Amino acid sequence: MEGKVCSGNNVLQARKAVEQLRVEANIERVKISVAAAQLVQYCQEHIRSDPLITGIATSANPFKDKKSCVLI
Amino acid sequence: MGELDVLKKEAETLKTQIETARKAVNDTTMEAASSGVAPAPRIQPKARRTLKGHTAKIYALYWALDNKLMVSGSQDGKLLVWDTHAGILANCVPLKSAWVMTVSFSPSAGLVASGGLDNMCTIVNISGEKPKTMRELDGHDGYVACSRFLSETSILTASGDQTCGLWDLETGKQKQSFLNHVGDCMCVALAEDQNTFISGACDSQAKLWDIRDGQCKQSFIGHTGDINAISYMPNGQAFITGSDDCTLRMFDMRADQEVMCYQNAQPTAGVTSLSLSLSGRLLFAGYDDFNCNIWDSLKGEKIGVLSGHDNRVSCTGIPSDGMCVSTGSWDSFLKIWN
Repeated sequence: MEGKVCSGNNVLQARKAVEQLRVEANIERVKISVAAAQLVQYCQEHIRSDPLITGIATSANPFKDKKSCVLI
Repeated sequence: MGELDVLKKEAETLKTQIETARKAVNDTTMEAASSGVAPAPRIQPKARRTLKGHTAKIYALYWALDNKLMVSGSQDGKLLVWDTHAGILANCVPLKSAWVMTVSFSPSAGLVASGGLDNMCTIVNISGEKPKTMRELDGHDGYVACSRFLSETSILTASGDQTCGLWDLETGKQKQSFLNHVGDCMCVALAEDQNTFISGACDSQAKLWDIRDGQCKQSFIGHTGDINAISYMPNGQAFITGSDDCTLRMFDMRADQEVMCYQNAQPTAGVTSLSLSLSGRLLFAGYDDFNCNIWDSLKGEKIGVLSGHDNRVSCTGIPSDGMCVSTGSWDSFLKIWN
């Protein structure tokens, strides 16, 4: 009886695994050349508004004054 | 017995099918695609703030949407909320359990969530006179490694019990369970439209999930160790992961595979955390060797280092306005750089 239950579980698990693989197999894939080109374009378009790349003028820097917070 | 064999064969066939389909779209590399792009400037951010207040290792930090408040969690049993502009402490939340692994703000920053080895995600209301515990989300069978609010009433968790969970804060109950990882779930990131999210786990895989039906849509392989950190690229089509295997990797969701690997010449330190600058071009990664490396995400080159911590960098964060990068460390300090 126990053997039957165990093998029943194994079959259930195997079925779930196959169902999951079917979902993952059936997606549409885009060529890396296309996906990469779009990613490069996005980054390039936004570089000018990326403060860590363009740098921040002292007057516009909310962290400009060197302050340390020390809790006593 | 016969059915099991048939199913196993079908599983192998499907895995081969996926491999083949991935190879079919693997027509170039990210490096080749970025070869015409000017190199990213070699930036050297300065440490503008050092926030001292924790008395033990810091494990997590999170920026509020106001780009000013930041919360940190430490195994000293406290969450500290910092006004980073003024450089002062804004609030202190004592925790029931000191073993905190994750902290986050709700969109309004009126709520703070923490989770850890107590296997719970605790929601505290910090908008009043005194912090008030609102919910203790109890249901995971393992530690809570990461928590992210979808709204003031909904939160996503990643757990050492190998599942992720979506919780309703009005009822305190789990609305959806995400089952497919075969290792501790360590990190999650929400898509902007909140219909999907990605997770990283100790089974070395990253997965894409549908939030509503709990279905795992895609599984990404490549890492050879625990994935500790995960973040979307701002175009929403790719994401980057950081791992104990000492590398970071970029995966493109539409190509369904790894498209870039960021590895030091001498890879000896695991990656604990990562953050992307506003354009996605700069990748800040915290390592076990006390440093935070700056990578050009498109060209895969290391372009700078943030050094200043005296122990492992356990967490990093960049606010939504992209104006700085913060690091938290086992040395008990937080630093803000730009």
